[in-house]
Amino acid sequence: MEKAPAPRLPNQSIGSVVTAIGPVWVAVIALYVISAIISPAMFQPSQVMNILQVAAFVGLIACGQTLVLLIGGIDMSQAGVVTLINIIATSMMMGSDANIGFAVVACLGLALAIGAANAFLIVMLRITPLIATLSTNSILFGIALIYTGGAPHGSSAPSFNWLGQGNIAGFPVSALCWLAVALMLAWVTRATVYGRWLYATGANPVAARMMGIPTRAVQASGYIVSALTAALGSLLLTAYVGSPSLGIGNQFMFTAVAAVVVGGTALSGGIGGVMATVGGAIFITELNSFTNIIRINTGTQMVLQGAIIVASVVLYRAVAQKRR
Amino acid sequence: MQSFDIGLTRRRLLKYGMAGLGLAATTPFFGALADTISDATQTFSGPLISGKKKDGPYRIGFANGFSGNSWRAMAIRALELEAAQHPDIAELIVVDGQNDITKQVNDIESLISQQVDAILVIANSGAAVVPALNNARQEGIIVAPFNLPIDGEGYDVYVGTNPEIKGQSSGTWLRNALGGKGKIVALGGIAGNSYTAAGWAGAQKAFEGSEIEVLAYRDTDWSEDKAKVVMSDLIAAYPEIDGIWADGGQVTAGASNALLAAGRPLVPVTGDDYNGLLKLYAAQKDSQPKFDIGLISEPTWEGVVALRNSLALLRGEELQRDLVITPKLITKDNYTSYIRPELADGVFVDTNLSTEELEKIFG
Repeated sequence: MEKAPAPRLPNQSIGSVVTAIGPVWVAVIALYVISAIISPAMFQPSQVMNILQVAAFVGLIACGQTLVLLIGGIDMSQAGVVTLINIIATSMMMGSDANIGFAVVACLGLALAIGAANAFLIVMLRITPLIATLSTNSILFGIALIYTGGAPHGSSAPSFNWLGQGNIAGFPVSALCWLAVALMLAWVTRATVYGRWLYATGANPVAARMMGIPTRAVQASGYIVSALTAALGSLLLTAYVGSPSLGIGNQFMFTAVAAVVVGGTALSGGIGGVMATVGGAIFITELNSFTNIIRINTGTQMVLQGAIIVASVVLYRAVAQKRR
Repeated sequence: MQSFDIGLTRRRLLKYGMAGLGLAATTPFFGALADTISDATQTFSGPLISGKKKDGPYRIGFANGFSGNSWRAMAIRALELEAAQHPDIAELIVVDGQNDITKQVNDIESLISQQVDAILVIANSGAAVVPALNNARQEGIIVAPFNLPIDGEGYDVYVGTNPEIKGQSSGTWLRNALGGKGKIVALGGIAGNSYTAAGWAGAQKAFEGSEIEVLAYRDTDWSEDKAKVVMSDLIAAYPEIDGIWADGGQVTAGASNALLAAGRPLVPVTGDDYNGLLKLYAAQKDSQPKFDIGLISEPTWEGVVALRNSLALLRGEELQRDLVITPKLITKDNYTSYIRPELADGVFVDTNLSTEELEKIFG
């Protein structure tokens, strides 16, 4: 990506260690150490588990966003997917375990259709991804509004809530679901032919097409995966909170993209990876949690969050450049 | 709880905080709104407005700011049903500002060009709607903001609660519930909004001179999911949390669920008339001895009163311009007359809508 020579690091061995484990993980650990020094509450194992439990929602959503950014696109409709799936899932479950299977299948089917619609707009009709997915987002929120008449009802089923609230040997179930999906996508993108097509399409779609890669199908697949992971994230969040809300997805329109970018995936495509996004999602959630705990007002909290995200990206990019 | 002698610091609140000067008549609501279950008090203040008699039938516009939550859905339905009950109302035109300041201004302009007789409005921005509403008044249209105040004096009748007084009442309840001593967290709405700011200012006044320690104030967007996440962090930070102040019931429900998830005891909480919170209280009160509620509604029938007052002016009657509604505190002693176990969590229970209507709205 960068033609300029990498900046010289003061200590080559530290640099190579950072390069080996990935700069976002250094940022995650550095923020954890700093926040635990300032607020010892962050140091408790229960708080670490709490952060992982909550990071699973944005983390899962950002997994799919990573694929879209890798192919040089962007998906702004994930917020709408999260809201609509939350509304549909709660209204179909109606608090009854008997309805879980039907509701989950319907939600995933719906997500598949939304992803396919985005893919059609972008790949077939050649509408700019930003505009196409923002429009889809507006349509999805509108449908949620029409479907509920502004007054959502229903609740998620008690057994289903275990996914968002439960633990296995002290480890949150939501985080396990997230890591399972992330590891699978990481394997697909790093170890399969499809994965190589994905990176090649994002790095240079013209060259990729000339090499015989089905770039349109690859691009379409990104938007479908993105809608599916947004739906899975929404289902976990629904299991965590238990109730419907028309505003529930809004926060993810930008935090999902932020998690991917903080992880080091380039908005220009072709560079980055799913596991780095896992680190990005943990970093963003850790930062929210830390600024919730320390005694500052909301305004300072927002300034601090923005500044720390920028600072962390700038700082470890210097290191990351060396890797490439 | 109807103590109006607090110093109102916010300019906008001044215009309906005149009750202490003896201008107002405080009456129970039974007469004025006999068909609601509410026993809120209504306090008129401000200058006397004389309506200019117009012949009906009337066409009424409602410039809603947005419609994306159950409070607004209930408020719109209450207005539609009320309008249908008046033979001299020919039409109620509801327009939706979609949470967009500019769109709402356009909506008001379009209502003016349709020559409606009165415009009810919940403003997305108390400042931005002022020029459009001035145009409406110049055309002889009655302007009736409700729920949220608009800037200045460019309106004919206003109906709303006083968030600072509500905050002070809920704060006083929390202070008493904790015996004047304890550590609390406060959870507000959207950062920078004037409603929560006024309510929290009132609550802090109520805590003055007590041994209530405020551990943290956090904005949670009035959403259950965000409140649960934020409360989980606060639980990690503070080994002792004795009470929660909030101005929304969904926030209180999310925060209480975070306490339950962490295996911590439930505590006295404030909030509003969100049915999900009342259900949570009913389900947990026997196993959670410290759990207690002090809730104040933001009535979804405010628009009904605004419509009635606008009609009064159109019929040539006289009334005082500003009406502050002070809803009754919902506590463990009276919550059974508000809770609706058979209905959705999203219902706001201080309502004049029938069970049948509520079932329709909440599917």
